[in-house]
Amino acid sequence: MLEVKNLTVRYGKKIAIKNATFNAHNKEIVGLIGADGAGKSSTLHAIAGVQRFEGEVVFNGYAYHSPAEAEPLKSQIALMPQGLGLVLYPDLSVKEHFEFFKRIRGVKDDPAYEERLLKMAGLYKFQDRLAKNLSGGMKQKLSLICTLLHRPKLLILDEPTTGVDPLSRRELWEILDETRHAQDIVILYSTAYMQEAQQMDKILLFDEGEIIAQGKAEELLKSAEPYTYEETSCDECFCFDKRCYSLKPLPVPHAKPTLEALFFINALKKGKKETRFQIKPKKVQTPPIIVEAKGLTKRFGDFVADDHIDLTLHAGEILGLLGANGAGKTTFIKMLLGLYPIDEGELWLLGKKIESYEDRIELKNYIGYMSQNFALYKDMTIKENMEYFGKLHELPSKTIAQKIEELSQGLGFAEYLDEFPTSLPMGINQRFSLATAILHEPVVLFLDEPTSGVDTIARAGFWKLLHELKRKWRISILITTHYMSEAEYCDRVVVLKEGKKIVDDTPQHLHELYPGLSFEEIFINFYKETK
Amino acid sequence: MRAFWTILLKELTLFMRSVGLVVAVLFFFLVDVYIVGNDIEIEPKNVSVGYVDYSNGGVLSKKILSHLHAPEFKKPIPFQSHEALSKAIFDKKIVVGLIFDPDFQKRYDAGGATQLNVLLDSTAATQSLLTLNYLQNIVLGFSSPKFPIELKIHKLFNQNSDTKKFMPLAELLSIMTLFGVILSASVFVKEKEQGTWDIMLLTPVDSRIIIFAKTTSQVLILFFLTMLSTGIDLFGIFDLPLNGSFAAYALMTLVFLYSIAGIGLFVAAVSNTIMEVAQWSVFLMMPIIFLSGAWTPIYSMNIYLQYLAYLSPLRYYIEGVESILFRGTPVEDLWLYFAGMTVIGAFLFMVGYRKIGKLF
Repeated sequence: MLEVKNLTVRYGKKIAIKNATFNAHNKEIVGLIGADGAGKSSTLHAIAGVQRFEGEVVFNGYAYHSPAEAEPLKSQIALMPQGLGLVLYPDLSVKEHFEFFKRIRGVKDDPAYEERLLKMAGLYKFQDRLAKNLSGGMKQKLSLICTLLHRPKLLILDEPTTGVDPLSRRELWEILDETRHAQDIVILYSTAYMQEAQQMDKILLFDEGEIIAQGKAEELLKSAEPYTYEETSCDECFCFDKRCYSLKPLPVPHAKPTLEALFFINALKKGKKETRFQIKPKKVQTPPIIVEAKGLTKRFGDFVADDHIDLTLHAGEILGLLGANGAGKTTFIKMLLGLYPIDEGELWLLGKKIESYEDRIELKNYIGYMSQNFALYKDMTIKENMEYFGKLHELPSKTIAQKIEELSQGLGFAEYLDEFPTSLPMGINQRFSLATAILHEPVVLFLDEPTSGVDTIARAGFWKLLHELKRKWRISILITTHYMSEAEYCDRVVVLKEGKKIVDDTPQHLHELYPGLSFEEIFINFYKETK
Repeated sequence: MRAFWTILLKELTLFMRSVGLVVAVLFFFLVDVYIVGNDIEIEPKNVSVGYVDYSNGGVLSKKILSHLHAPEFKKPIPFQSHEALSKAIFDKKIVVGLIFDPDFQKRYDAGGATQLNVLLDSTAATQSLLTLNYLQNIVLGFSSPKFPIELKIHKLFNQNSDTKKFMPLAELLSIMTLFGVILSASVFVKEKEQGTWDIMLLTPVDSRIIIFAKTTSQVLILFFLTMLSTGIDLFGIFDLPLNGSFAAYALMTLVFLYSIAGIGLFVAAVSNTIMEVAQWSVFLMMPIIFLSGAWTPIYSMNIYLQYLAYLSPLRYYIEGVESILFRGTPVEDLWLYFAGMTVIGAFLFMVGYRKIGKLF
């Protein structure tokens, strides 16, 4: 049994997690759920004894207050840190990883157990394959079984499934489930995917360095029910994904909440208000087809990152490009933008066939691009960043000042204009990056993973904002994401798997084909078909 | 043009905001140049000397020893035996050992042909060889004057043969080269790391202007630092002469910095992280400096290296700067140095632009 009492982790003045208190029993899987920066990793690292903390952790009767005191427990603890395949060595094979981890852990040979692990992970047939040639999902499964080799009593997994395809995620889960039935083990598991929470024995919801709720999924959902209503127009409430959340009663029927509801309700209780976006309407003339890609292919040496992909983006459409990390989403966007050369295939942008570099120059002012991690200059204030890009887009200074005023008000970050991006929450950075990308009023937007790492409320706000933009400007948007559930908010979705297109359909049609299933489950079917 | 100034100003602002970097470059350009120029000695200084006198207190041995004094030498230490002296040299307590044989004085008195044994720790190569040179001069004074040629030495360009004039200049040139590559490469790679480079390429500004503006910002920073170091360290503290035109010196510095920035751009094209920039810079730095003739004259290199030396922009700069400062070469005779740096710089810029500045 694991008991965590008033655990606090500080980095200088910054408090990563404050007074976390919870416990976990044997054979339990406890899920830590929340956005990047909410305090999950700090909590896990403190419990694993690799991070200084205040408070007390008791594991099977042994109490520790510092990494030094946790030392005697190290042989029973296993930590799998965040990052795809981070604990693996690219040039070692699956088998060599096993040998290596056995030796450094001083584990005796146990062929039967090892075989079982390999079979569970589906790696039994691939023992001679080098780690670098494994897919993202296989890498995570290998990392997991390597940490299980010494039969830990406390298994700590920091976002083992982020960016992993849904099928591999399910298989990873099955390994954990089997392991806890076979032996006495406490499993802590952090994730940014709400859907995974349903299966856990206990959930801890993290928000801004605090645990805002804990318990079983059903209990938590039940606690959210009184505040969840069907979609309506209301003040002092949050509305997203066909539901509204309000502390005051609303004159509409209640709706079935999801776990996300708890974040909205927590925000309401803290007195936060939904950011309302105001975007001035604009008329644009565009050809009916914005992007037309035929058989686009990109190779890096022997590796085919994108394999003959066809894709069409129509005017005024939000097209979601979904897939796990390494599926080829970013590479594809970079080919469309000309940041990578196209190895094979044909491309039309805004009705113009792209043959050379010159063809792109005049299109630059019609294209907006927001790259991964909201990349902008960290040593310049938000206002300076926007002015800089405005000038590079050849806007007159007066227009720039107007636009900054208008967009910062409309997108709700006016009070942060003189701050540096590093001192602001991800959600604000996300919106101001978007504002910078649309400063020159493009007709098409390319967004690369804009929703990764931001909290539920910011994510919901961002999707609303995109729809508002589409409605007012008739802008076309190509957006990539590894959150399968976000397919819901797109007009059409394309799913990539290992460089190949496996789905190209509208959400409505997919729901008709698979009634009652979530997008996670729908896509798992497609992944299985193409296995 | 507006885009050019926008980018240039932004880069200068970002530089000024990174306080750590500003402090570091000021340290290297001002303090480090001073330290190296002042403290690294190629003259013998504080050399430890030991001796064994088997000649039992002859006058001659005392006379020779009396020439070994501060600041070049420490007071000679007497040893009992050859073995004890050898051991002291082995233990690095003594750099130079002298052994006076029993018949040392006798043979000198008899006919002049006597012999002094010198033990040198040759791992301290420069110091021990210079000491040897020094000893030979002392001994020459005692020998009979059968050698009727006298050398009348005219030292040109650096009248005191003062290494203090050359060392700080060589150090400044090395620092310019190193920081030139690192700064001009990081200004691009930082953007690659943050992911802003892609966004820059997608703005309607011609990427040649982006590259030129970013490079120019770093060249200006380096130019300012070089002039600061020239004024304070070279002319102020070390009192270097200026026999030629200062304008030519400034212009040559600017051209040199651009050609170094060309190397930086190449490094930026092949690196994705600042870490790789650091590795590449050190990797490229050494040949650039060694092939420049800063430490070894080019004519004493292996013939293949001599050809390779044409590729080091630093080579042209060093020769050019020496010509201006020490020799006072007129401006019109400097064209070869300008041409050499311009060709190398232009070539590297072209390669770098093709690798990082283009959409496909």
